[in-house]
Amino acid sequence: MIAAIRCSLDSFFGRGEAAVTLPPLDGALRANRRLDDEGLRRPLPGVTALAVAEGGLYAAAERSLHRLHPDHSWQKVAEFEAEIAALSQAPSGGMVLALSDGQILTYGLAGTGVPRRSALRGITDLAVTEDGTLWITCGSDRHGAEDWQRDLMLRGAGGSLWRLAAAEAQPQQIAGGLAWAGGVMACREGVILSESWRHRLLRLSPGGAREVVLGDLPAYPGRLSATGDGAWLSMFAPRSQLVEFVLREPAYCHRMLTEVARDYWIAPRMRSGQSFYEALQNGAVKQLGLLKPWAPSMSAGIVLRLDAGAQPLFSLQSRADGRSHGVTHAVEADGFLHVAAAGDEVVITLSGDAVKGDAA
Amino acid sequence: MTLTDRLTRWRYHYVPDHLLGEILSKRWIDNAVPVLFLGLTLSVFGALIPGFFGADNMSNLLRQWGEFGLVVLALTIVMAAGGIDLSVGSTFALGNIAALALIGVADLPLPLVIAGTLACGALVGLINGVLVGYLRLRAFLTTLVTLIIVRALVDSILLSYAVPIAAAFPDSEPWFFMGEGSLWGTPFSVVVALIAAAGLHLVLTRTRAGWHVLAVGGSRRSAHNVGIPVRRVICLTYVASGTLAAGAGLLFASRLGAAGADIGVGMEIAALTAAVLGGNSLGGGRSSAAKAVIGSVIVMIMVNSLVRMGLTSGANSLLLGTVLLIAVAVDVRWMRNKHKFLSKVYVSPTWADLPVAPPTSAGSPYALNDRLAPVQSIGLGEIDGPEDVILDADDHIYVGNRIGDIIRFLAPDYTRQEVFAHVGGRPLGMAFDSNGGLVVCIGGMGLYRIDKDRSIHKLTDETRRSLFSVIDDSRLRLADDLDIAPDGRVFFSEATVRYEMHEWPVDCLESRGNGRIICYDPRDGSTRTVLKNLVFPNGICMCHDGQSFLFAETWACRISRYYYDGPKAGRTEVVIADLPGYPDNINRASDGRYWLALVGMRTPAFDLGLKMPGFRRRMVRRVAPDEWLFPNINTGCVLRFDEAGEVHETLWDRRGENHPMITSMREHKGHLYIGGISNNRVGRLPLPGADPDWTGMTSYWGQK
Repeated sequence: MIAAIRCSLDSFFGRGEAAVTLPPLDGALRANRRLDDEGLRRPLPGVTALAVAEGGLYAAAERSLHRLHPDHSWQKVAEFEAEIAALSQAPSGGMVLALSDGQILTYGLAGTGVPRRSALRGITDLAVTEDGTLWITCGSDRHGAEDWQRDLMLRGAGGSLWRLAAAEAQPQQIAGGLAWAGGVMACREGVILSESWRHRLLRLSPGGAREVVLGDLPAYPGRLSATGDGAWLSMFAPRSQLVEFVLREPAYCHRMLTEVARDYWIAPRMRSGQSFYEALQNGAVKQLGLLKPWAPSMSAGIVLRLDAGAQPLFSLQSRADGRSHGVTHAVEADGFLHVAAAGDEVVITLSGDAVKGDAA
Repeated sequence: MTLTDRLTRWRYHYVPDHLLGEILSKRWIDNAVPVLFLGLTLSVFGALIPGFFGADNMSNLLRQWGEFGLVVLALTIVMAAGGIDLSVGSTFALGNIAALALIGVADLPLPLVIAGTLACGALVGLINGVLVGYLRLRAFLTTLVTLIIVRALVDSILLSYAVPIAAAFPDSEPWFFMGEGSLWGTPFSVVVALIAAAGLHLVLTRTRAGWHVLAVGGSRRSAHNVGIPVRRVICLTYVASGTLAAGAGLLFASRLGAAGADIGVGMEIAALTAAVLGGNSLGGGRSSAAKAVIGSVIVMIMVNSLVRMGLTSGANSLLLGTVLLIAVAVDVRWMRNKHKFLSKVYVSPTWADLPVAPPTSAGSPYALNDRLAPVQSIGLGEIDGPEDVILDADDHIYVGNRIGDIIRFLAPDYTRQEVFAHVGGRPLGMAFDSNGGLVVCIGGMGLYRIDKDRSIHKLTDETRRSLFSVIDDSRLRLADDLDIAPDGRVFFSEATVRYEMHEWPVDCLESRGNGRIICYDPRDGSTRTVLKNLVFPNGICMCHDGQSFLFAETWACRISRYYYDGPKAGRTEVVIADLPGYPDNINRASDGRYWLALVGMRTPAFDLGLKMPGFRRRMVRRVAPDEWLFPNINTGCVLRFDEAGEVHETLWDRRGENHPMITSMREHKGHLYIGGISNNRVGRLPLPGADPDWTGMTSYWGQK
């Protein structure tokens, strides 16, 4: 009773749960434009995931797998029946792929392995441990990975985490009821996964205990990729006060989902500003022909470096006026960091300080 | 239309939400709470005390109020300048004893008694003023010390002269008249207090001295910076306060003729309570005579009524203290939160439903293209926000900028520019009259004309205030665009009466008919409102028939035609009802049609929000202004249409590199010149096939 009264009071005054305040981009997430200014850019239409295996950089774009040629061009090496939903390097060499129709298969110089068919839909990420066990995240049980905006606006909580042991045919559900499981990574104490719509990273221990290791992020966390002493967290879209507000306006939100085309919703996206039918915000009005970098934006590019305890160290960003939006995957190998910016359909390769984080 | 939509529409049609913000933004709202409290006090005590409204009680109350009111006015003057005067009670007592001694013991004639008494008070005030104003001592401590010293002085005078004063019986008719006489049935002291109140009101609101006092109280440092002699002003407020307090003492002396030790004791607390209760801010700068009068009446009624109800004097002080505490708390909270509250409630969206937007895909007259791509930039990076562009007979370009200049780019190559005139304000729409004078709508100022010799003339800056309007809509806030009829009448639009120039897009969140079209007639210099309740009327362009003009309503996405002469005079017809974007300026094209600039495009998400005013209202309250959902004014285009409403061509800058937002365009000798209110360039686009000799000047005023 008291909770209900407090809830309605909160929604009247815009406090508590109804508040639309966001954590500032400060500390490790202090705004910068290093994704735009540094690194080598190699465009690849449709790129979403990356892997470094067998001495080369592989990139998944829709149904095809590409390999980077030494002359900086992309070469298609394989095409599959369905879109590649996730891609990961395997410790044994080669890669593991998940397709959007639920198939899980290995790929390497030795050729494509026998696919294991699963009933999983909406796969967002996968991770392989030393013993060959696969950890798989599914964003939602109601919406496919491409329909992530609808799942967010409906405040979906149907994400799940699955484990597929090397010898088994069918995966086993480890956790459910997640608000979009966007990425997973194995760690010493179990696995760490990102719960995107609740803006946090969770650690699941083998005993099944859930623990928030990093919460209240200012952007939606996505795929995680482990490095020697920590991890890279790709954040595919920034949070915005206006979106938080729309999420708390069920009547408007419902009508928007039914009456407005998806591309023109008030919702985060991989790349915004593509069409004049997209909603504009006050601060994003161009002044003297320029969009200001601090303008409110429905898209941005953020890669966050985490330490061994999953705490943030520093970040690489692309701001409202940048050209590396919608980062879906970042992998590090041999001192190079490869970043897939799905919004701008480009793979950026950084090295030196940007990877080690000495200077900001 | 669904039932919910219909209900929402009725709800927003019949409940004028916007009035709340407008009322709160008025200055007199500070008096509303004290007036309500006065009504409450009157009704409570009127009900509790029998005969409260009887003539006896009223006359008794009034006579006491006359003296008390003067003391509260004295305190109000000091508070207006940001100070406080605790010595008013003692000065009142000093005035009383001085008057009695001068008339009873020294036996002086009445005028000298009055002058002497007032001089005593003025002297006390001067001491306060020098200490507080010039030596910058703390007002509270200083006047507390003066209170004690003057009280001691009164006591020692009493010791020496109590007996002679009590024995004396002044033989002077005017003296008794001051105490007990009436003018037009009103006690003399009340007349004096009312005259003082009226005088104070006039001084504070109408004279330089009063403005100085309020300025010093509002912000001492700013007052100093603009050259107001702050120290002298503060000193003089104390002198005025002392004089008035002594005058009150004089009236008291003539009424009772008593020289007691307890006269004026505790009066400063009562006066302070009255002043604050009336709404005079302790911080200074927000005081008025009306507030002092209201506050003193409330306190007077409370004190007297409690005495009549038989409460002891201790209870009386307790009540006064409590009321003072509450009043101070309310004063502080109100002052601190008023602006916050006002900013939350001022924007009041209403229900609006636009017709379905036509597509911009292939096959539509609005189909996307890159026809604006070959545009040349003039003054790139050197001009800040050319809203409108116009060319004269010598092909020079005139544009306004954000800092209030009219800039002239010189023909033929437009690489040189000069400030043609500095007008201040924000120059918006422009037109040439038949003599070649440039008539300009200036946001924040009104309608002006700049002649060829660069002399600037104000044509008009106000129209008749509309009946029942809460905010003063007589002054022109946002004159936007104009055009001139063949007979010389100037028709111009005022986009909104609720917002200032720099926040014009916020008006879209309301989408209410806040704008109007006004006519200035140079033949008799009159200004009158022609059309009201328009949704951000913007561009205006004369039709070729000499009887009508076209005007654009930006947030309503429509073009209408208004007949000011001829058989259809007074009628409005819609020409284009469903534009895909927000129309801005309209101008003539060489083929007899019209150019129209779309400042921005409609977005489905915002169109949906228009049907949900509650959503927009909550957004304005909860979300930071920079994050507000806006109409998309980052993409615009230019289109050409005819009087039947048919669109013939559309020119787009698809990537928005040169002209993301277009507010105006002007055809001149085969070229189109393009301006944008937040752009940094003027565009020049060759128009293949257009008449290379056509100019706006000849189209309007013929060959000269």
